[in-house]
Amino acid sequence: MNIVARRPWAAIVVAAVAAIAMVTACGSQPSAKKPTPKPSPTINDQVGNPASSVTLSEAGSSLVEPYLAALAPQLTSAYSNITLTPSAGGSGVGISDAATNLIDLGGSDAYLSDSEMTQYPGLMNIPIAISAQEIAYNLPGVSDLKLSGNILAEIYQGKITKWNDPAIAKLNSGVNLPSATIVPIRRVDSSGDTFIFSSFLSATNSAWNNGPAFGTTVTWPAVTGELTATGNPGMVQAAHATPDSIAYIGISVKSSIQSAGLGIAELQNKAGKFVSASQATITSAVTNSAQDIPSNLAQSLIYEPGAQSYPIVNYEYMMVQKQQKDANTALAIRTFLTWAVDSSGGANATNLASVNFIALPSNVLLKIKPAIGSITSGS
Amino acid sequence: MAMPALTARRSVARSVQNLAFWGLCALALAIIMVPSIWIIVGLIKSSLPLLNINLITQTTTNYGLQNAILGTLLLSFGVLVVAGPIGIGAGIFLAEFAPPRTSSIVRFFSEVLAGVPSIVIGYTGYVLLAVRLHWGFSLLSAILALTALVTPYIAKTTEVSLRQVPTALHEGAVALGLTMTTTLRKVLLPPALPGMVTGLVVAVAISTGETAPLLYTANFNTADPTLQLTNHPVGYLTYVIYEYIQLPGDKAHALANAAAAVTLIFLIILIAVGRFFAYQSAKRTNRMNI
Amino acid sequence: MTLRWVSLVAALLPILLLCVIVGTMVASAKAAVIYAGLHLFTGAIFTFGNLYGGSPSVHNGVTAPHNAQYGAATLLVGTLLTSVIALAIALPVAVGGVLMLTERIPPRLQNGFSVFLELLAGIPSVVYGIWGVLILGPFFALHFFPALANSLGRIPFLTWFRPPVGAGEGLLTAGLVLSVMVIPIIAATTRDLLRSVPVLHKEGALALGMTPFEVVRVVTLPFVRNGILAAALLGWARALGETMAVLLISGNALNQFPQSIYSPVGTIAATIAATLDGALTDGTGMAVSALGALALVLLLVTLLTNWAGRMIVRRSSGAALPVGRGF
Repeated sequence: MNIVARRPWAAIVVAAVAAIAMVTACGSQPSAKKPTPKPSPTINDQVGNPASSVTLSEAGSSLVEPYLAALAPQLTSAYSNITLTPSAGGSGVGISDAATNLIDLGGSDAYLSDSEMTQYPGLMNIPIAISAQEIAYNLPGVSDLKLSGNILAEIYQGKITKWNDPAIAKLNSGVNLPSATIVPIRRVDSSGDTFIFSSFLSATNSAWNNGPAFGTTVTWPAVTGELTATGNPGMVQAAHATPDSIAYIGISVKSSIQSAGLGIAELQNKAGKFVSASQATITSAVTNSAQDIPSNLAQSLIYEPGAQSYPIVNYEYMMVQKQQKDANTALAIRTFLTWAVDSSGGANATNLASVNFIALPSNVLLKIKPAIGSITSGS
Repeated sequence: MAMPALTARRSVARSVQNLAFWGLCALALAIIMVPSIWIIVGLIKSSLPLLNINLITQTTTNYGLQNAILGTLLLSFGVLVVAGPIGIGAGIFLAEFAPPRTSSIVRFFSEVLAGVPSIVIGYTGYVLLAVRLHWGFSLLSAILALTALVTPYIAKTTEVSLRQVPTALHEGAVALGLTMTTTLRKVLLPPALPGMVTGLVVAVAISTGETAPLLYTANFNTADPTLQLTNHPVGYLTYVIYEYIQLPGDKAHALANAAAAVTLIFLIILIAVGRFFAYQSAKRTNRMNI
Repeated sequence: MTLRWVSLVAALLPILLLCVIVGTMVASAKAAVIYAGLHLFTGAIFTFGNLYGGSPSVHNGVTAPHNAQYGAATLLVGTLLTSVIALAIALPVAVGGVLMLTERIPPRLQNGFSVFLELLAGIPSVVYGIWGVLILGPFFALHFFPALANSLGRIPFLTWFRPPVGAGEGLLTAGLVLSVMVIPIIAATTRDLLRSVPVLHKEGALALGMTPFEVVRVVTLPFVRNGILAAALLGWARALGETMAVLLISGNALNQFPQSIYSPVGTIAATIAATLDGALTDGTGMAVSALGALALVLLLVTLLTNWAGRMIVRRSSGAALPVGRGF
């Protein structure tokens, strides 16, 4: 009458087997649906207000988030049926969550790696603006500071530990550098800012290039007293709270770097000149960029030549799936992206200036058109 | 131990020893009390000026907490709906139906589940529910993660409160020939009910205070929650505390503090409700024992 | 009859949940565990590797991104150290405080104290975290750590206490905040245990002329020793798995062992929480697997501690333990 009473283990074994069977069944599934590649990609240039309301969820880069937050209400007033809900979380989140369809759009300062492009063939990285990164420091009384990628690499490797190290002093004659210990701050989350910062260090320091190299997460060398933070705002907060600290922070939060009383260092570019990030120096980096952007749109703008060029410049990417769940969503995403890079739409001078971004050059705009057009519902 | 001879000198030494020990114990008691007073007073002091109507009428985008408060309430409600019946059912089985051997096995697994760290549950929820089952960041993923966390508590309190019902009542019902279902409903449940409710209250308290299992299942949403079960992130209070304390600026810190204060107020209310039912439960059990 | 079966299904669900959790973790951790081998426990470097270049690394037949290393040693050390510090502080404080309460304070006032314990247990871990990062950490870094460094740090061989004391995010702060979170678990159990000590034994000892301290030492503590040990193990399990508070106050060091008691540390739970969302950027899936391996290690350590605690309680058949989180 009572199986449980007589065979207590039977029921439990059944439950356990069922559970493990279920998990293994899940485990043997590929973790992302791979749409079969189509012989001839369908291109759909159509944009406009979708017939019914569509909410586009975005997550990722905390560098691009303030920009999208400014764009969101304007998008809805231009296209009443599209709502954009941006949130931060780090570029790693942007790539991961777009790859696994957790969100519609993933913000990232980093482009997709080759392995990601292979793993997620339906995922595209589409640039929507050009951004930069600044090096902030908390040294009361020091208003001007010149640094090079090589010195930053030595600081983040623990080889330079004092602010008055001869290497730093050599670049900053006349500046009264304290003897305090440098507190490097790094991102703890998977971050596009880490990606572009470590790209810069790799380009300027061979030990770094052969060691940690670059990525959204890297093998940080152990540095005594090093601190960590989450997101660009978290970096500002940590640097603000920690005297003698140094941090790499996206330019979109420049106003909060300044209101936190942090200094911003001038960086040595490839031509040996010290420059700070401005519209002119970022533009110079883009125009001096050696190569045209490849068709997969993955390109670094780090440490480009040119006497005026700022050394840490990057594309802000939107990660998006080619194949969308329905025609309405596909239309909404095409419309948003087309509008977002249009100088009379989202990419107007006021929006860009509010986060210190600059617009995409015309050759890049030409290249991304077909990519946007390839976003369809696939049916 | 043999009693030592009571010489005068040893007696002094012993009372000094005695005094020192109790002095240390008093200090320890003070150390236990200090943090909770420190946290609560500190929070009230820094967040009292921030508690205003905006917190309820605005979402986090405008430095309010509407989306987070609604999300936390919705998640707690979901936990009651999903984990409540499972936990109570399991408790009833353990107390009334299970033979000793079975019940000890079930109880063992339930206790093991209660010992699983919340971040491990969060990891599983993300990998299995959000990613593999394609539910995304959603109400359903979050509620299931919380269910795994709180079911053992509900089961345990239900079992304990049913067992506290005097055996005489139980045997009387059997003697009258009542079926088990009727016995439960008419005889056992009424006295056990307050204890079971306490368990549910604790479950809600845990869901309100947890963050780690929700980070990668509910994620966060600046808009108010909807009843959409999958692929729609949900905001909640503890995330606001965690996230906004890391943002620069007094306004963000103020919001984090306010969210912490609102969470604590929720918890204090829940503790009060829990104590009320625990008191009721004790009263009923005492009355029946007389 | 139906109720029996419905309740049976309900009772099996927690077991099913546990199997699903363990099954998912084993399935997803497998690749990284094979890749890392024993290095998982001995390796000091935990990195997802270079996702943007270099040839893939192959170990034991498993392929991972260039230079990927899944060594959990520093995280394991961080997890153990923070929780041991927490326990070392929480255990004497909780037991001493509760002794004071039950033996020397009138019962009327004792109920008020129970409210305190419930509050301490109920405060969310993220609130403990912001308390640690905003108030306790800076306060101690300014007033308490320098004094500690100047006293204990001057004693030869105690190099662990020497400056620099840092900004208040690190091993000691994490241990202190964790101890506050563990105290209610130990205190609540100890309180129930002490109430179960037979009054006659205590009165007999008093009548023999013992001081109250001697009564505690000779009669009370031996009676409840096993129960307290079990509660301590439960509290330890809680500290091992604690995430949010540690994430905010530990400094989240990676790839380094702590140099002193003030150093930033990383723990397994905090590292999972901080890097899980970025792990999916590893197209090979190895990063998620590596975090799964970390989670599995944490789960094993926690369950062992928890299980040991419950075994001790069974044997001593003392008062029931609270389930896990201190309520």
